[in-house]
Amino acid sequence: MTLITPESKLSQVILSNEPSIVTVINRFGISLGVGDASIAEICAQRNIDKDFFTAILNTYTNEDYFPQRILSSSNIHTLINYLFSTNAYYEHFLLPNVERHFNLLVSRAKEPNGNIALMLQFFNEVQQEIASRIHNDRTSLFPAIMAGNAHCATPQQLMDIDANIEDKISDLVNMLVVHFSGDYDQNLGLAVYITIHNLKKDINNDNRIRKRILYPLYLSNNRTTAE
Amino acid sequence: MKPSVIIVACDMLLATGLKRLIQDAFSLSPRIIDDISKPMLLDDFDHIITTPDDFVANLSLLLPRKAQCIIFSYSPLGADGIRFIPRTAPESVIINQLRDYILTPKKPQAQKNALSMREIDVLRLVASGLTNKEIADALCISVNTVLTHRKNISAKLGIKSVSGLSLYAMMNGIIHPYH
Repeated sequence: MTLITPESKLSQVILSNEPSIVTVINRFGISLGVGDASIAEICAQRNIDKDFFTAILNTYTNEDYFPQRILSSSNIHTLINYLFSTNAYYEHFLLPNVERHFNLLVSRAKEPNGNIALMLQFFNEVQQEIASRIHNDRTSLFPAIMAGNAHCATPQQLMDIDANIEDKISDLVNMLVVHFSGDYDQNLGLAVYITIHNLKKDINNDNRIRKRILYPLYLSNNRTTAE
Repeated sequence: MKPSVIIVACDMLLATGLKRLIQDAFSLSPRIIDDISKPMLLDDFDHIITTPDDFVANLSLLLPRKAQCIIFSYSPLGADGIRFIPRTAPESVIINQLRDYILTPKKPQAQKNALSMREIDVLRLVASGLTNKEIADALCISVNTVLTHRKNISAKLGIKSVSGLSLYAMMNGIIHPYH
């Protein structure tokens, strides 16, 4: 897979990747209608760190990418701001979107379908765990990292929470694809699948960014403070 | 062409109830039989719905036709790829399960990934919230064996979390939703 560089044209990056990459670019305040400019030019106009921006895009599009160059504490505020935007995207768009489609699927089932109601219940459980992680980010983890303080949870414990959420969303997707049954609105079933699949993809990418960028930065900051 | 169904059961009340359910839900007219005097008759039907007692009573005739059989019973008998409907499940679950079996074309891959009886036992206990040690004690097996079963269950079902396994168990009548 070709790496995205500051010299790449942003329009080409969007066109040659899945549409969901637009939601990542949007978290930096960049909307559609990017013109013909390169990433470096757009970042300069908007005062965005171009190396950080390309590292995020590469991590999002390439599972094997490991961003070594941005592991410096000067990027921590940019990273935290990005993760705040990602959390807001989950809270205000992705999670309500899945829930809305799920509720419609339940209410429009041609006959009472216990399976859909059980899956909605499972989704609500996952949703609560994501909300709890967002709350912890906002009130505890991110402020501690920004202040250079240690947090009560170790990176491993944080990664376990991330992995648990990832597993449950993956289970939900598998349940829909492999084990779903009953009489339901096919279009709504498909819509639920697509929205949950988008959530899964974004959460997996977010976890990768946390694991490869946030937690190493957090560890290196703590080491520097201790020294 | 509509699928054909025969109900093999000595319990006429049960057989009549099932026939009515299938008639109402799928507009099919299953035949009821309490004694299989003409074995060749069975080959005229796509699906044979029966109970564990009737299955055992007619073992020599039904075992070679197990791929056609759907067992209506209190506990799963899916070990050898025999399809199963939980007798204690709500009517909607029974209808959904019947729909899958009767109206959906057979999926050979699903049989390949069917859980064994022991795996279903382990799944039931996992879904009930027991720890690996408690499951091992309940089934008189080692914790390592429990871990192996859990690994195989997750691989077969594609489900990793306990919540996901519980959901699967509820959807398939292995545990009651309000357990």
